[in-house]
Amino acid sequence: MTDGSHGLSARINEVREQAIEELKSVSDGETLRDWERKWIGPKGEITSMLRSLGSLAKEDRPAAGRDAQALRSKLEAAFTPVQELIERQQMERRLAEESIDVTLPGRRPDIGAAHPISAMIDELIEIFAHLGFQAVFGPEVETGRYNFDLLNIPADHPARDVWDTIIIDDPAAEIVMRTHTSPMQARTMERLDPPIRVIVPGRSYRYEAQDASHEWMFTQLEGLAVDTNITMTDLKGVLQELARQLFGPERRVRLRCDFFPFVEPGVDFAVDCAICNGKGCRVCKHSGWLEMGGAGMVHPNVLRGVGYDPEKYTGFAFGLGFERLVMMKYGVDDIRAFNGNDLRFLKKFATVTI
Amino acid sequence: MKVSFRWLQDYVDIDVSPDVFAERMTMAGLEAEKIEHIGDSWDNVFVGLVRGVSQHPDADRLVLADIEAGEHQLTVVTGAPNIAEGQKVALALAGARLIDAYADELKYKTLKPGKIRGVMSEGMACSEKELGLSEEHEGIMILEPDAPVGVPLKDHLGDTVIEFEITPNLVHAFSMVGIAREASAVLDSDLRLPAVADLSNHASDDELVMNDAPGLCRRYIGVVIEGITVEPSPSWLTARLTRAGVRPINNLVDITNYVMLETGQPLHAFDRNLIETGRIVVRRGRVGDQIETLDHRIRDVDESTLLIADGQKTVALAGIMGGVDSEVVDSTTSILLESAHFDMVNVRHTSRRLKLRTDASTRFERGIDPELARSAAQRAVRLILDLCPDARVVAWNDTYPAPVEQRTVAMPFSRIERVLGIPVEADTVLDVLTRLEMQPTIDEENDSLTVHVPTWRSDISIPEDVVEEVARIVGYTELPATLPTGTTPVVERDPLFLLERFIRRTLVSAGLYEGRSYATLSDADVDQWSTTTSISLTGEIPSSNLVRLRNPVNSERPILRPAIVPSLLDDIATNLKHQTQVKLFEVAHVYSGTGEGELPDEPSHLAIVMAGHRHELSRFEAGSGGHDELDFWDVKGVLDTLFDRLRVPATYKPVEHPALHPGRTSQITCAGQALGIVGEAHPRIATGYGIEQRLSVAEIDVTVLMALRPDLDGMQITADQYLPAEQDFSIVVDNDAEAGRVEEILRRGAGPLVTDLVLFDVYQGGNLEPGKKSLTFRVTFTAPDRALTDKELAKNRTRIERALSNELGASLRS
Repeated sequence: MTDGSHGLSARINEVREQAIEELKSVSDGETLRDWERKWIGPKGEITSMLRSLGSLAKEDRPAAGRDAQALRSKLEAAFTPVQELIERQQMERRLAEESIDVTLPGRRPDIGAAHPISAMIDELIEIFAHLGFQAVFGPEVETGRYNFDLLNIPADHPARDVWDTIIIDDPAAEIVMRTHTSPMQARTMERLDPPIRVIVPGRSYRYEAQDASHEWMFTQLEGLAVDTNITMTDLKGVLQELARQLFGPERRVRLRCDFFPFVEPGVDFAVDCAICNGKGCRVCKHSGWLEMGGAGMVHPNVLRGVGYDPEKYTGFAFGLGFERLVMMKYGVDDIRAFNGNDLRFLKKFATVTI
Repeated sequence: MKVSFRWLQDYVDIDVSPDVFAERMTMAGLEAEKIEHIGDSWDNVFVGLVRGVSQHPDADRLVLADIEAGEHQLTVVTGAPNIAEGQKVALALAGARLIDAYADELKYKTLKPGKIRGVMSEGMACSEKELGLSEEHEGIMILEPDAPVGVPLKDHLGDTVIEFEITPNLVHAFSMVGIAREASAVLDSDLRLPAVADLSNHASDDELVMNDAPGLCRRYIGVVIEGITVEPSPSWLTARLTRAGVRPINNLVDITNYVMLETGQPLHAFDRNLIETGRIVVRRGRVGDQIETLDHRIRDVDESTLLIADGQKTVALAGIMGGVDSEVVDSTTSILLESAHFDMVNVRHTSRRLKLRTDASTRFERGIDPELARSAAQRAVRLILDLCPDARVVAWNDTYPAPVEQRTVAMPFSRIERVLGIPVEADTVLDVLTRLEMQPTIDEENDSLTVHVPTWRSDISIPEDVVEEVARIVGYTELPATLPTGTTPVVERDPLFLLERFIRRTLVSAGLYEGRSYATLSDADVDQWSTTTSISLTGEIPSSNLVRLRNPVNSERPILRPAIVPSLLDDIATNLKHQTQVKLFEVAHVYSGTGEGELPDEPSHLAIVMAGHRHELSRFEAGSGGHDELDFWDVKGVLDTLFDRLRVPATYKPVEHPALHPGRTSQITCAGQALGIVGEAHPRIATGYGIEQRLSVAEIDVTVLMALRPDLDGMQITADQYLPAEQDFSIVVDNDAEAGRVEEILRRGAGPLVTDLVLFDVYQGGNLEPGKKSLTFRVTFTAPDRALTDKELAKNRTRIERALSNELGASLRS
């Protein structure tokens, strides 16, 4: 052993004692990093010790190197738990500092809501798509021919009075705001060949004084199916399916004789009240039934009018009002609310639509 | 039509309760709209006889009446001015529930005996109002002299009045007998027709009626009756008219009204002595004809008007209303009774032209059975002879050149099953059609069903009508529910609707609420929102194309809207009274006229309106002042997102619009087509709508948008494999350079690999030259098949620099 190696070995002991001693007083990340840098870092004491090995006698170098490495390992072994402890303490401190009152309100994204009528249109389009019905759309301003004549409502017939009509100021022709979506029956049959299964949602207009249950602008759904074998039981089945999809699988549909010039036989249809299960309550005005709309078998004159052979084809048609449907489903008691754009009203539907 | 349940039973026995009856009639097509029970609350009210009336000892205006009702004998204190000995009255005993005649709304009170000015009043003689019969409360109700004393009033006067809705096809049911006839078929109960006088034993007078317009008057029966005494009708008659909602006048007029209600045939009685030359002429109006109708209005008459005249003057508007010059009055002693059939279309025209609807015209214009005129005339004569002992028929005539023929419908018996979907037994069909008096015959082997349609059923002419008759009487309750079978039609979805739905859903996710407003605008709205070239905000509709309504529901809004924005503005101010933020949109048709006699175009539009605070009140925004106003950028941002998602490259250009802020309005175009407009309303306009806040609006033509939207069917959407490269470009340009133009050039220079491009900083001042600004964009490049190299990006940058410098003289800041 040379003097040089003695000197180094003393230095190793000294470093060990001093480093271990200093490590004991390390209490935070910063002093820990200082300690690490000073003793075991790339520019630290051990590194410089290893660098100084070259000044030793050749035969002393391996042992001194081993000792220095052993010291590094020892210091690192002492360092790791302290580091872990301090990191753990730091994390705990951070978490404690970041603690919040979770009962405070969150940061809300802005989301609006669809209009209840739009949402109901989407819903019915989906229900009828399952039954093979395609949604088609037509003009809101119509000729007398489509709105009345082709629907077996001749001019000068009192049946025409049933529809209080808003008339376009046109000197040359009878042009009206469509009083129902039924004009699309003829338009669709003129465009397509049977089999036909369509629904027509859309705005309709009547010359009518407004009150809680009457609106001059409202939204209708028309349904039409024409084929070689369409019957009234099919009509009842489709209406029942609609009622069940909207109001629950227990619902029943009732058909009742009624008159519409473009169907024969004609009926109105009602669904048993879901609130009281048909027993009678305030919602159904103690009748047990909620009226939904009118329907029937397409009148042979209507088929003939669009060039269909009534001996070959039969069809059913039905119509219902979206406003009434939404009113029934959600208990809305004033039809004017649908056209008022009152955000207090529209926001309530965010619960059931999007 | 109001139908008294009691009266109805003159013609048919009904062995079910009024409510069950109403329900069964409703199911068969005669909808009972209202059921009114009269007398349900009349417990402890009896028919009483006034034995004597004496003065109240301590009150001048009160009397003491001794009233007897069977075992009840009591003294009643009353102030009724019309009470007198010998009268029959409605006597209420203690405990009776009566309507409080002095309450403002309907309120019942229970009668208690009590002292009035010192005399005990044990009961009460009731007014019509207290019994709920009418609003009459001037005096007590006096019953007819033959009312049975001691009988509960409920049994004597109680009734159910059912109001049936008579749809236009059901003219045959527009009468008591008609309803009874329906009831007899529905309940399978016999029909009893009212008693009539026989006219055939009087000689017909061919001179009595001259029909110069047989095309408009198919039948005219005139009956001259002498020995008439005009006086008030007996109480049974006035009671029935009152219950049906008709005001009694005198016996003659009441009989004509009664027979109209009973049979459905309108009748008219002329004072025969005021019919000059004694004969009736049925003719069209002539220029200069006038008539003063019973409502004391002078009516002008034209060629299209059918008139009843005498030798000199006009005496009635045929089928609508009589004239005052031949009215039956108290002194009338002889009448000419008219029972006729007038053309439904003509009556309807005249009634509409004169805006004069009467009970007669509403019946004629539905098309009455011409056969009915005879039986109705005979019924009226019978009643006149019954009520006027001295009356006698002296002349009559029935002009009926072309009698109505009974229709026969022959059809396959199987048609019933083909329409209904289920078979109906032949026996059932025969039974039902027999009950409807259709004389059916069925030959099942030859698949044939034949019916003979009664003349009053003008609504039945084709096999499907017969099917309905069977179905409505059998009822639809047992009809099973099936679904259509066979080939499912080809389903092709409406592309415009899908686009509209996409827009609606995008805007809802962006925080907007969908609204819905009326389709009409006022002239002032249109004036305010029109430019010299266009009345639609999108620029697509020229000013000449307004569509006007002849009869708008709201007379101040006679125009079908060419744009949606103006119709949303009133609702904004209303909302701002209770909302801090209003963000609304609507997707709807707008209207653009295309010329006389043509339907207007109806493009679909989207409108967006915003006003109020940008953020709803929240603790997160409170620090930043919290009350930033929604403005141009909020609406434009929504549009940017929408157009981005639709892959429609919209370009913006400042534009002037009279209703919009001159410095904050942009036209939106795409591929040279006008797509819409976005801007802030001119503050003056916003104030006009009651909005003090900034008001930002946009109107987009969705139909144009659809045409511009790229076809997504063939589009490939792939998952990115390689990381994108982002580069920032700060471009220094003159202050007045439009960012849109800079972006356009940048995009072009950047080439096809650009997948995103965001302008995120606008900077002025600092070390920039005065008059210059710096726009900083972050551009993302993505290649589908490789990672981009620095070399490629550097090349790109050079190209961009060149483009900017060449086209704008702009430089890139490093």
